[in-house]
Amino acid sequence: MSTVTATVTIEDPIGFHARPAGQIVKLVKESGLEIRMGKVGGNLVKANSPLGLMAMKGKTGEELTVEVDTEDEAQAQAIIDQIQQFLKG
Amino acid sequence: MTQQVLSGLGVGLEAVTAEVFRVRQATPLPIPAKHSGDLVAEQAKLRSAVDQVASDLESLAEKAGETSAEIFEALGMILLDESLFDAAVAQLDDGWEAGTAFVNAMETFAELLSGDPTFEERIADIRDLAKRVAASIHGISLGLDLPETGKFVIVGEDFSPADTAQFTPAVVGVVTIQGGPTSHTAIICRSKSIPAVVSCAGAKELTNGQKVLVDPVGDRVVIGGTEADATKAISFVAKSTEPVIPVRSNIGSLEDAVAAATTAAEGVGLFRTELLYLSATTEPTRDSQIQSYTEILSACPEGPIVVRTIDAGSDKPVPFLKMPDEENPALGVRGFRLVADHREFIVSQLEALEEARKASGREVWVMAPMVATAAEAKEFAALAKAAGQFKVGIMVETPSIVYEISKLKGVVDFISVGTNDLSQYLFASDRMNPNLGAMLNPWQPALIASLNQIAIESKRAGIYSGVCGESGSDPAFAVVLAGMGYDSVSSSRSQVGAVRTALSSVTHDEAREVFEAAISGSDSDEAKSLALAKLVEIAK
Repeated sequence: MSTVTATVTIEDPIGFHARPAGQIVKLVKESGLEIRMGKVGGNLVKANSPLGLMAMKGKTGEELTVEVDTEDEAQAQAIIDQIQQFLKG
Repeated sequence: MTQQVLSGLGVGLEAVTAEVFRVRQATPLPIPAKHSGDLVAEQAKLRSAVDQVASDLESLAEKAGETSAEIFEALGMILLDESLFDAAVAQLDDGWEAGTAFVNAMETFAELLSGDPTFEERIADIRDLAKRVAASIHGISLGLDLPETGKFVIVGEDFSPADTAQFTPAVVGVVTIQGGPTSHTAIICRSKSIPAVVSCAGAKELTNGQKVLVDPVGDRVVIGGTEADATKAISFVAKSTEPVIPVRSNIGSLEDAVAAATTAAEGVGLFRTELLYLSATTEPTRDSQIQSYTEILSACPEGPIVVRTIDAGSDKPVPFLKMPDEENPALGVRGFRLVADHREFIVSQLEALEEARKASGREVWVMAPMVATAAEAKEFAALAKAAGQFKVGIMVETPSIVYEISKLKGVVDFISVGTNDLSQYLFASDRMNPNLGAMLNPWQPALIASLNQIAIESKRAGIYSGVCGESGSDPAFAVVLAGMGYDSVSSSRSQVGAVRTALSSVTHDEAREVFEAAISGSDSDEAKSLALAKLVEIAK
């Protein structure tokens, strides 16, 4: 299986907090795909764990790597766009 | 059935009979413990508790508005986080029982999140989630879990604002073991017209399912009593169409003003402006103040409108004033003392009120809260007179100002007594301390003596005097106040009719006799019963 990788930015003025984490987990679960996220250059965690996502302590302005395991690039792109949207707050 | 009487302090005039529903004490969670070795059973317990709490969150989300619903949803996802469950299972493997295991697992995540101010609240939320799961495992209830249907008298130690917010339509009566006549419970029950008896130590003995009569007029709860046993409120029969002194209404919002206008209230005796700003994070602009004051003044019942400038402090925080925490907030920087740091805001209130006065064409009186010295009264009077054409006054709620009323001659036009705070400061009894409820009973002889002195001093200084505290909402006590010589009382909206009828059932001389009966009492119970006996005699 191939992996689509992208970079998103935390734009939410209060950082990567519970609400976007919850929104992302919901999206990931609905997609049925394995998606990993983490700070650029750091460890990635499975994006189906809101606590794992929050424990990154992402701050406003920081960039995150997103990896989506799928053959469907269009679907991956749609998910990444949606994640970026959630990170706008 | 044998009847048993438990005495307390009544709130309201109507009695009610219903079944007791005891609100459980918030039981502390058990201390961390190991399980008996049955891993499968512990894991099943944990799974079902997590599912239960998740479904509770869902129903909370349904009841909440959109933004809060998303928060509940996010919390639900955290709860169902598989890595959290896996961490809890690892704790089970270490021998911890299900509740302890879940709390420990959550704690490891809480520690990962700690040290970052933006997450502090979330950490409190997730710790609370863990507590809920542990409570569910141990069969402990954290909410009030009030029934939604039926008719119940709820019984508890005392109820906080978070508790009273959970009152359902099934709550037809309230009994508290602690709390006084000005406790949060009493104020809420009075405004919702729920019969209540507070400060009722004997209520400890009440058990679920017992039929009780809540008899606020008789200041008692009767186990096995029926509505036929209820103490009859003195049925005041109006002898004239006008009360001996005007009855005004207390308001805090546009809705209150509109509702007050449907009562027989003659104007407003207390407009609490701070209630408009309890959640304001930025200072309201002059224009927004002019607009809201104009709407409210225009909606008020006919008659003068007494507006109180902002009464905030660290006990009644208004976000935009950014008040620091204080050791003793009731004795701290509150009310007019804000003038030191927030003079411009008080001036902007007065100026906006002047614009609103002109726009609405109403008669506006302004007063400052929490004035302790004649010098402060002079300072406020100067600010108010510079800002507009008002009658100017102060609240009398500190014992110190009572000794300076004579110096207010020519300085202020009126005074208005706030009996709740006056009691708190006179008796050195924190209004928020549920153990001190009995001190805050308006029939306490020292309060009656103090109120009488204030009435005498104001009359001597040629200053108009009124009462706007909770005691002015008690029909019998309002007669006592009229007997002392007060010029008006201001009541909570729901009590305007009852207070007006009481004050229309007596002449000035009769009110004086009721006051004299009350002041001859040796304690609060006797003061009240002597006054009521005199009222019954007058009614004959």
